Amino acid sequence: MERRSLVPYLLILPAFLYLLFFVGYPLVQALYLAFTQNGAFSLEVWRRTFSDYYFWSAFKYTILLAGVIVPTQVALAVVLALLMNRVFKGKDAALYALIIPLTISDVAAGLIWYSMLSPYGFINKLLMNLGVISQPLYFFGYEYRMREFFAIVIAELWRSTAIVFVIILAGLQMISKEYIEAAEVFGANYWTRLRRIVLPLLKPSIQSALIIRTLFAMQIFGIVWILAGRDIPVLAGEGYYQLTEIKDAGVASVYALVIAALSILLGALYIKFLRAEYLEVGE
Amino acid sequence: MRRLFGVLLAAVVLFAVVSSGCISPGGGEKVTVTFLSTQLNPPEERAFVQDELLKGFTDETGIEVNFVPISYTDMVTRLEGEMQTGKVTIDLIGDLHGGMDYMASKGWLEDLGGMPKLEGRTFINTFERYAHIRGQKVYIPWMSATYVMVVNKEAFKYLPEGLTEEDVMKGTDKWTYDALLQWAKNLKEAKGQPELGFPAGPKGLFVRFLHGYIYPSYTGYQAKEFDSPEAVEMWNYLKELWPYVHPSSTTWDAMADPLLKGEVLIAWDHTARIKNAIETKPDQFVVVPVPRGPKGRGFIVVLAGLAIPKGAPHKDQAWKLIDYLTKPETQVKVLEKVGFFPTVEEASGKLPEGPLKILAKGVQAQASTQDALVVMIPNLGDKGGQFKEYYKQAFERIVLNNEDPATVTKEIKPDLIKLFEEVGVPVP
Repeated sequence: MERRSLVPYLLILPAFLYLLFFVGYPLVQALYLAFTQNGAFSLEVWRRTFSDYYFWSAFKYTILLAGVIVPTQVALAVVLALLMNRVFKGKDAALYALIIPLTISDVAAGLIWYSMLSPYGFINKLLMNLGVISQPLYFFGYEYRMREFFAIVIAELWRSTAIVFVIILAGLQMISKEYIEAAEVFGANYWTRLRRIVLPLLKPSIQSALIIRTLFAMQIFGIVWILAGRDIPVLAGEGYYQLTEIKDAGVASVYALVIAALSILLGALYIKFLRAEYLEVGE
Repeated sequence: MRRLFGVLLAAVVLFAVVSSGCISPGGGEKVTVTFLSTQLNPPEERAFVQDELLKGFTDETGIEVNFVPISYTDMVTRLEGEMQTGKVTIDLIGDLHGGMDYMASKGWLEDLGGMPKLEGRTFINTFERYAHIRGQKVYIPWMSATYVMVVNKEAFKYLPEGLTEEDVMKGTDKWTYDALLQWAKNLKEAKGQPELGFPAGPKGLFVRFLHGYIYPSYTGYQAKEFDSPEAVEMWNYLKELWPYVHPSSTTWDAMADPLLKGEVLIAWDHTARIKNAIETKPDQFVVVPVPRGPKGRGFIVVLAGLAIPKGAPHKDQAWKLIDYLTKPETQVKVLEKVGFFPTVEEASGKLPEGPLKILAKGVQAQASTQDALVVMIPNLGDKGGQFKEYYKQAFERIVLNNEDPATVTKEIKPDLIKLFEEVGVPVP
C-alpha cells in the first residue's frame, strides 16, 4: 500500500530533477552572485547595477521596444489570421510564406536585415535606382538611433509575428461556424460579428500569444545586438555585455534577475486582467 | 591456486616492463613538453599550431609538444598551484607582456639570461628591452601585434595642403591629428559623406585607440592625466573630428569589410582585423603609421613572449622549442597564417612580396618613427573589461551625447584610478 503512494512522486521525479538542475541551480547561483560581496550578504552589486550608466536606458529601451512591437504584432497577426481564414486560391503557398521567418533565428534575421538596410544594401540600391534618393540612407550608427529603433521593429515584426499568427489562426479555426451563421440569420453584419463573436472567442488565443510574446520581448537581444550594437542598450544585451566584456558576473546576474522579475510581473498582470473574461466566455 | 599466482606474476612483470618504457616503440625516451599559451587560442589558430607549427618542431627534434590553450586567469591559477605544491608540470608559457611581468614579480619564472645564445636572429631592440624586467631576462619576445591606419590610395588625392603622401607613409612631424582632421574634412567635402572609419561597435577595438593612441598622444599618459586640460583638449578635438567619421562606426566591430566595400577610405584598426582587406585588394590599400599629437605618437604594442617556469621538468627541451619558435622562418610562417608580427629583424627579409609585406612595412614604419610613444595594454586581469568600459563611457557621453569633457572626465577619473589600486598595478 505504501509503495503505491510513492508512484506519483517517482513519476514526477525526473521532471523535478531536471528543473532543479537546469532552472533551480542557476537561479540560486544568480541570486547568490547578486546578493553577496566577498562571500557576505551585500547590496553592493545592486548599487553598482543601478548606478551603471546603461542600466536605466536599457530598461527604458526594453520596455519601449516591447511596447511598440507586441501590440503591432498582435494587431497584424489578427488581421493576417482573419485573411488567411478564408478559402482562396494559393492559400497554402501564402501560409508557407508567412511562416518561413519562424524558422530563422533572431541573429540570422538581424543579419539579413542588416545587409538589406546597410548603406550599400538592397533597400538603398533600390531607392537609389528608383531615383528617390541620391545618397545612401544610413540606418545604423549612434546619430541614427531612431532609424535603428525602426529597423529593429521591422526586423522583429518580420521574424516573430508568425508565431502570434499561428496561435491566433489556430484559435480562429476552433470557433464554431454555428455562432457566426446564427448571427448572420439575425442580420449581424461583418463588423458586428467580428466585434461581438469572433474577437471575444479569440481572447484566450490572443492572451496566450500576448504572454508568450511579451515574455520574449523582455529577453530581446540578438536582433538588437546585430542591428544597433550598444547604441540601443537592452537588458539582456547589457547582461551579456557585463558578463563577457566587463567580466562582472554579479551585475550580469542582476540584469538576469531584473528580466525575470519583469517577466513574472507582466505575466501576472496579463493573467489577472485577461482571465476573468476568458472564464465568462467559456461558460 | 598456483596457476592464478603464475598469471598474476606474469601480469605484474609485463606491467613493470611496459611502464618503465623499456619497450616503447621509438627506442629512446620520449619527452613531451607542456606548452601553456594564452595566445593562438581560437580554433583555426589552434589547428595551425598543432597540425603545422608544432609538427614541424617534432619532426625536427623528436620532441612531442602538448599545446594547451588556456585563459590568463586559469594559467595563473594553475601555475600558482604548481608553485605552491612544488610539483611543476608546465615547461613553457606563452603570454602577453603584462602577464609575464606579473608572473615574474611573483618569482615564478626562470631567469633566461644564462641560457645558450639563440643563433641567427636579432630581436627588435624595443622588445628586447621590455623582456628584461627588474634586471632579469624574464621572457623571449615571441610575437607582436599592433593597431595601425589603413589608407585607400584614392584618399591621397584629397590630402590637405602641406601634407604629402610621403609624410603619411613615413610618419613625419607633419602627419598630425590636426592634419587628419583637415584630411577628413576634405574627403567629406569631395565625396559627400564621411570617409574616415573606426571600429566603435560593441566588440570593436576603438577603446584601444582612446587609451593607447590619442590619450598618450595628447597627455603623455593613458590614465594618469585622464582629466587634465590636455585631455579636455583631446576630447574637444574628437568632438570636432566626429562629424567627419562615418556614422556607422558605432556598429562596426572590424574595419576590413567597410574598407573593402568602399564605405570608408581611411580606417584605424588592429592589424589582424584589417589583414583581410589588404590581402583581398593589395593594390588598393597602404598601411601607414598613426598621426602624432602634441606629446608624441602614441601607439600600442601587443607583445607576447615565451617563458620557462622555475622547476620546469623539461627545461632544455623547452629552450629548444623557444629556439624553433623564434627562428625567422617560423616567425614568417606565423605572420602568414595568423597575422602576428615577428619579433626578430631577420624575418622581414624573408617575407614574400605582396599583402603581408605591405602590412609589415606599415607596422615597421610606425615602430621606427622618431616620436614613437610605445604603450602597453595595462595588465588588469578580470578588471580589463571595466577599464575599457570607462573610456567607452567617456566617449559616449562626451562625443556622442555632447556632455562637457571636463565634467565627465572628472567624474570618471576616481573610479578609473581605483581600478589600478585594487589590482595593485601602477597607473600608466
